[in-house]
Parts: sequence; C-alpha cells; structure tokens
Amino acid sequence: MSFRKTLLITAFVVLGGITLLHGALNLGWFAPRATTASGAARDKFRVGFLPVTCHLTCPVTDFINKQTTGGSNFDPVRFHGWPELKEAYLSGYTPVTFILAPMAIALREQGVPIKIVYLGHREGGDVMVHKDSGIYRTEDLRGKTVAVPGRYANHRLIFYRELKKAGMKLSDVNLVEMPPPDMPAALYSRSVDAITSGEPFPGQTEMDGYGRALYRVKEVWPGFISCVLAVHEDVIKNRRAEVQALVDGIAKSGKWLDANMTNRVDAAQFVSKFYYNQHPRLLEFVLSKPPDRVIYSNLKPLRANFEEIEQLAKEAGILQGTAHFDDYVDTSFAPEDDAVQPHPYATAQR
Amino acid sequence: MPRPALRTAHATTLLSFALPVGVGVMFLLGWHAAVRISGSDLFPTPVEVGRGLLELARQGLLLKYVVASLFRVSWGFALAVAVGVPAGLLLGWYSRGFQAFNPMIQIFRPISPIAWIPVAILWFGVTDAAPIFLIFLASVFPITVSSIAAVQNMQPVYLRAAQNFGLSRGELFRQVILRASLPQIITGIRIALGVAWLVVVAAEMIAVNSGLGYLIIDARNAGKRYDLVVAGMVMIGVIGLVLDLLVRQLEKFDEVRWGYARR
Amino acid sequence: MMEPGNVQRSTPNVQRSNAEGASSLDVGRWTLDVERSSERAAIFIRDVSLTFPGKRLGDEIAVLDHVSARVAKGEFVCLVGPSGCGKSTLLNIVGGFLTASSGEVLVEGQPVHGPDPRRIFVFQENGVFPWLNVRDNVGFGLRGKSKEEREKTIAHYIAMVGLTGFEDAYPRELSGGMRQRVEIARALAANPDIIYMDEPFGALDFITRLKMRADLVRIWQAEKKTILFVTHDIEEAVQLADRVLIMSKRPATIQQVVEIDLARPRDLDSPRYLEKRDEIFRIMGMSLRVGETLSV
Ligand SMILES: Nc1ncnc2c1ncn2[C@@H]1O[C@H](COP(=O)(O)OP(=O)(O)O)[C@@H](O)[C@H]1O
Ligand SMILES: [Mg+2]
Repeated sequence: MSFRKTLLITAFVVLGGITLLHGALNLGWFAPRATTASGAARDKFRVGFLPVTCHLTCPVTDFINKQTTGGSNFDPVRFHGWPELKEAYLSGYTPVTFILAPMAIALREQGVPIKIVYLGHREGGDVMVHKDSGIYRTEDLRGKTVAVPGRYANHRLIFYRELKKAGMKLSDVNLVEMPPPDMPAALYSRSVDAITSGEPFPGQTEMDGYGRALYRVKEVWPGFISCVLAVHEDVIKNRRAEVQALVDGIAKSGKWLDANMTNRVDAAQFVSKFYYNQHPRLLEFVLSKPPDRVIYSNLKPLRANFEEIEQLAKEAGILQGTAHFDDYVDTSFAPEDDAVQPHPYATAQR
Repeated sequence: MPRPALRTAHATTLLSFALPVGVGVMFLLGWHAAVRISGSDLFPTPVEVGRGLLELARQGLLLKYVVASLFRVSWGFALAVAVGVPAGLLLGWYSRGFQAFNPMIQIFRPISPIAWIPVAILWFGVTDAAPIFLIFLASVFPITVSSIAAVQNMQPVYLRAAQNFGLSRGELFRQVILRASLPQIITGIRIALGVAWLVVVAAEMIAVNSGLGYLIIDARNAGKRYDLVVAGMVMIGVIGLVLDLLVRQLEKFDEVRWGYARR
Repeated sequence: MMEPGNVQRSTPNVQRSNAEGASSLDVGRWTLDVERSSERAAIFIRDVSLTFPGKRLGDEIAVLDHVSARVAKGEFVCLVGPSGCGKSTLLNIVGGFLTASSGEVLVEGQPVHGPDPRRIFVFQENGVFPWLNVRDNVGFGLRGKSKEEREKTIAHYIAMVGLTGFEDAYPRELSGGMRQRVEIARALAANPDIIYMDEPFGALDFITRLKMRADLVRIWQAEKKTILFVTHDIEEAVQLADRVLIMSKRPATIQQVVEIDLARPRDLDSPRYLEKRDEIFRIMGMSLRVGETLSV
C-alpha cells in the first residue's frame, strides 16, 4: 500500500475509532437516553465545585435530588483547582459556583456580575504540624516553613492574623504557597513544618497519624466562612425560581448533614464514591472526628461575617475595599435558619 | 575474537529485546528496593502500582481513561498536522511569508500549554475542546517549524530538476517540495506527537472528568492514592512508547525511507 | 571592446599558462564567425561574463570572463577545464538556472529565460528523485501523456539504459552508476532537443565510468540529441566528444577548441586518440611527464 493511502486510512480509522470509543465509554452516546419527561432536564445550569468538605452540600444535594425525584435540577461540575473553577465561571460555563468568599468579593470589585446567595459551610480547617515536632504555639513557627493555600483562602488570612496576634511579622515564617491536595505529603515528608487549608487535607494528616492540630481555625474564628455559593446576576434575574430551588435544596441538605451522625456517615460514603473519588474513610473521619469540625447549618450570609472578611482581606492587601456587602450579596434567596427543615431523605430511607 | 553464535540474526533480535527488558527489570527492582529501604509509606512500590492498575482495569476506568486521553491527543494532534504541515511548506517556500510570520511563531512557540489553560477554559469551557485546543497548540509549532526547516534544507538539485521539467506551482508543491521534505516532516511529527502526549496531563487539568491526566490529578485529590498517580504516569509512558513505535512505522515506507541515514 | 562578429582572444590565460612554466606551449587562439554560426547553432553563447558577490561586501569573484562558444545541432560537445573554473556555472547559465552578468545565450535561436523541458539537465549531484521508483522517475517528464504511451516510453528508455527488471526499485537500492542511468533515461524520456550533462559520471568508479561513456555514445547516436557535456576529465572528453571546449582557470574563458575527428567506437590505444589527448593536456598546461595522472 502506498504511503499516502496508508496515512489517510490510518488517520481515518484512528480518529473515527477513538471518537466512537470515547463517545461510547465517556460521553454516553449510545446509552439509552433518559426520557426527558421532566422537561426541565434539558436546560439545567451547571454548578462548579471542588472535592473539598467546604463544598459538600453540592454533591449531597445532587445525590438526594436524584434519589428522591429521579433527577437533579442542576449539573454539578467538579474542578481540581480554584483558577479553573473561577475561569469556568467567567466563561459562563458554570453560571453558579461554589467559591472562596474573598475570591467572589475580589471578582465583584473587578466588575464581574457575581452575587453570593448562600454559604457553603461554616468552620472546618486547621493549622497542622508534624506530631513529633516541637511546635506547640504560633510563636514556635518562627523561622519554620508553612504551606498556605492561594491568596484568596480565608485559612491564609486567618493565619496571618494569628501571626500578628503572636507579635510576629509575615517575614518571620517562611511561607510557601501550595495546592491543598499536595499539603499532606509535604507535611509527611517534612518538607514543610506546618500546613493550613480547608478540609479534608488537614484531617487526612490526623487520620494517618502524623499530623497534630496546632489550632483549629474555628477556635480563633468561631463560625468562620470560607466558601460560598455564588450566582451570575443574569441567572438571578432570569431564573429566580430555579436559583431559589437550588438554595432551598442546599439548605435542606445542610440541615440533613447536621441532623445526625448516620446521615454524615452515609454522605461520606456516597460523596466519596460518586463525586470526590476519595477514600470514604477520609471523608467519614473529617465529618465525624470531631463531629463539629465542619458545620452545614446557619448558612444565611450575614453582614457582620463579611465585613470581618473584608477587613482581613484588606489588611492582607488582596481586596481594595471598593465592594461591600450589598454589592456582592443577595440575601433574598437565603431562608432563615430556623425555617430550614432537614431533608426528609435519610429518615425516609432508614 | 568475535563470538559467531551471537552474530546470527536470531540472536541479534533476541538481544534487541533482552537489553531493554533487562534495563526495565533492573529499574523496577531498584525502585522497589528504594521504597523499601527508605521505608516510605507514601511512595508506592511497583507492586502497589501494578495493583492500582489492576483495580482501575477492573472498574473499567483504565480503558475509559486511556480512550479519553487518546481521543484528545488524536484530534489535537491531527488538527496540528493538518494546519502545521501546509503552513510549514508555504512558509518554508515563500521567504517573504517566512520573514513575516517567523517572529510571531517564535514568540508563540515557547509558551507552555499550561499558560494557555485559562484561555482554553474561557474559550471552550470545560468541554473536550479545551484539552484538544491545548494539545493542538503544543504540537502545531514543532510541526510547523520542522516543516519549514525541511523545505528550507531541501536539496536544491530536486528543485532544479523539477523546474527543468516545467512543473506548475501546484505540481511543484505536491510532487516535489512535499515529497522532498517528507522525511524531515515525519521526524518533526514524531517529536510533536511526543510533545502532544506529554501535555496530556496539563491539558486534562481542566475539569474534564476522564483521561490519564485526570487520573493523576484526581488521585492527588484522593488523599494517599499515590499508587494511582504513578499508575497514571506508567500508562502515559507506556502508551507514549507505543505511539512512537507506531509513528516509526511511517519511516519504513519507500517514499520516505531514503531520508533517514542508513546503517 | 568586443564587437559582434569579431575575434575573441584569451590573452590573460596565455599569460597565466606561461607563468606556470608551460611557456613552450602555443595555446593559440580560435576565431568564431558569430553571424553565420548563430543560425545553425543549437546553443550559441556570446560574451558571457559572470561575477559572484564575495564573502565581504564589495568583494567580487569573477568566474566567467567573456565566454563565447557554439554547439551545432546534434553535436556532442564537451567542456573541460580545471576544477572550480566555472564549467558548472556556464552550464547553469545555458540551462537557465543562472543569469549571466553580461552577454547573451541563445538556444535554438531564442534567448534563455529559465529552465525549459525541451532541454533537460543531468546534474552533477544526481537529481533522481529518491521518493520515486525507477519507473516513476523515468516517467516524470511524461505528465500529460496517455497511459499507454507513458508506459511504452518508460519501458523503452529503461531498456535503453539497461535497467530492465529494476522498474520497481528505489534509487537508494541502486548503485551510483544505475542511479546515473535512471537520470539519463529520465532526461531522454522527456524527449528534449538538448541534454546538458554536468560531470554525470564524476562519482563513479573507473570501470563503470568507461561503460557509461560507451553507453552514452551509443544512446546519443541512436537518439540524435545535442549534448553539452561538462567534465574535468580529459580522457572522458576525448572519448565522447565531437569537439572539446577547453576553459582556462578563473576568471574563465574558452581557451581553445579541439576537434576530435575520430571515428566511433573509439580505440583508446590508437595513436590518434593519444595525440588528441596529449594535445589537450598541453593546452591545459599539463605535462604527461609529471606523472601518469590522466585527469586534472
Ligand atoms: N553561488 C555562488 N556564489 C559564489 N561563488 C560561487 C557560487 N557558485 C560557484 N561559485 C564559485 O565559482 C567558481 C566556479 O564554480 P563551478 O562553476 O561550480 O566550477 P566547476 O568548473 O568546478 O564546475 C568556483 O570558484 C566557485 O567557488
Ligand atoms: Mg562543477
């Protein structure tokens, strides 16, 4: 066979074959299509999230929706890092997203039409040191290497404030920025002396027995918030009912998670398996030991909390201070906490 | 004295298998020993990686991920060839065009595909088009540049012979310039395929939820699953080897074989 | 200074020859009746000069200095001269691959404006396309012909150069002599009026070269083409040509023309052959007594 013929045939077969295989295996082209009886299934919006405990209500709501009504009113899209998550929001691909509160505020300051409608969680996250290290107080970190997450993470901001409280400057510790998933290995190998981030990564070091909490962030900032649910203003304007349904669903699953330990263990199982692709033991550990490590109730955005965040972020130089609570929060969707009932899902199942 | 037994063709082929396999086995043993001796329980041994691969295969994920990565690389790379080769032929031939575009190409060329990730997401969202775009970008420049060089380094005698026979411009391109540059273009394509496959990890850092690059990133998120991280690396390496062997088959065709130094 | 229809001298080269100790030789001079010969000539070269730009700006390498010559239709003319004197340069000008700095070249009465399929060049570097097999190489100049005619012509010329059975072979599978035969067949198949050959046998071993020369003469006699053949090998020129144009060193001009009025096939031991050979050696300022070197 001639070179030309071989090349053309090979290209055709390879491209065609691999496309068909990809369609069959990964895109579900040939799967029997779920009958779109519900009608709304066509036009669901995508919700961006990361596989972290701060965004747990996203998969939980989706899962419960699917279990109870046979479908969800949104498509959860999992990202691996904040930049990609943010860029997908900016491109309009995910008009609704879980996001770091300071990042959402910064986007607002930069003119992005973004509104926070609900909180993702409260509390969760620690400063971890190696269990054999001699570090017992913030002061002991002097001259040590500390891994911190990206600049918009509240865990980083609160770590700065604690340093200051201990009478130290930022230059007194050696800060390295690191994606939280890499932090446990860094602490284990002692390439860093301390790590701080949201769960489940600090929890993982505890579970595996080499990490010790220097302090939990909630001890120094009770009820603190790191991630929020943010929505594009166009979606708020045009699809109020759907946003309301989403917020209601998230509120109910939050309450459901906080209702009892059985629900949490249950959630650890199905979220690990179907959404995070982590070992269920890890999620179960962070959700149960201690049981109040992360909290999913009382998630209505409150002015005081955000003003505190603004203040901290301004001090750290990551916010201008040009956007305020009313610019970047829309409280009209968030139900009052005592009005939220836990989702009946689990109780009905058990 | 040469040992005649080793000089038979059969022994030579056997040796050409035995040597790389031997090195591979040595490497695996060294790896295993290094993990054991250092007592690390984060970094996996080859056996654990093998078990991780088996686990993935049993879940059907291995095939899915390999297919997803190959799908993106195939399309990104095919587009790069479809754009890069004609562009390279034209720019290699028309020196004015080369003068005009070469600085631009050299500016774009060193930009890592990772730097393009935000652009890819903003333009294509987190669909398959985004990693395809990244792989395209990574491979189109090596292909273009090697095609340009192939035309520019073409033996002038072929060109003069062609001119002598009064070829039209189209015939000149198809029958002489392309054919004379083909061996070097294919070498460039081989290198570019390596690059395309190399960036699959970076390209799948975008929130696509399949592929070997995704496997690695996902395994990092999954806590202590470094066996799966390494499993992803192993698969990328092995498939890279297979791809290279396949592209090398192209070099065996009479139409291009003349262009490679014979031994 | 040079008027058309007048005499051209090669004075500078006479002096150079003298300086090199060949003063006993009478290099002579030859005259050319331009007006008459341009009508019948297949190739007509008048006062062609060429200067290459040198390495540094302003530097110039004068390669050809007022070269004039003619080749009649059907004639086999060899152009000899020392290596680097400008033989290839002159042939490339005639072939249309280079433009002279001054002077004029008429081929079949027309000024040359570039390469032309009616005159095929056989290159010093072997211009056979390595990506085509023998059949397709030989058929390269036959685009536009009907399939049968193509195949017939290809078979004919492959047979003529003695490569029957190698139709499907690729150039890399052939010896140097066979590749050169392919190129000659390719040139012949295109049915040109003139063939330009630039040291086509230069890279071949002695025996092959002898055979190739004999074959070329046989083919030329059969095909009645005009051939302008460049070589630095004096023996080769004497074996092949009707006339030998002898070029001087750079900047080159035609130093002398020697008629080789020997019947073909030529006996390489005959006194007449040796006489012609020695004459050219003398003209080129070489003495056979120096050694047995036969080519310059
Ligand atoms: N493109 C060029 N630029 C400059 N010098 C050249 C070029 N081509 C040939 N020359 C010079 O012209 C002279 C004649 O070259 P050439 O015609 O190839 O000689 P030959 O008689 O051996 O065929 C040589 O000295 C060579 O260096
Ligand atoms: Mg030459």
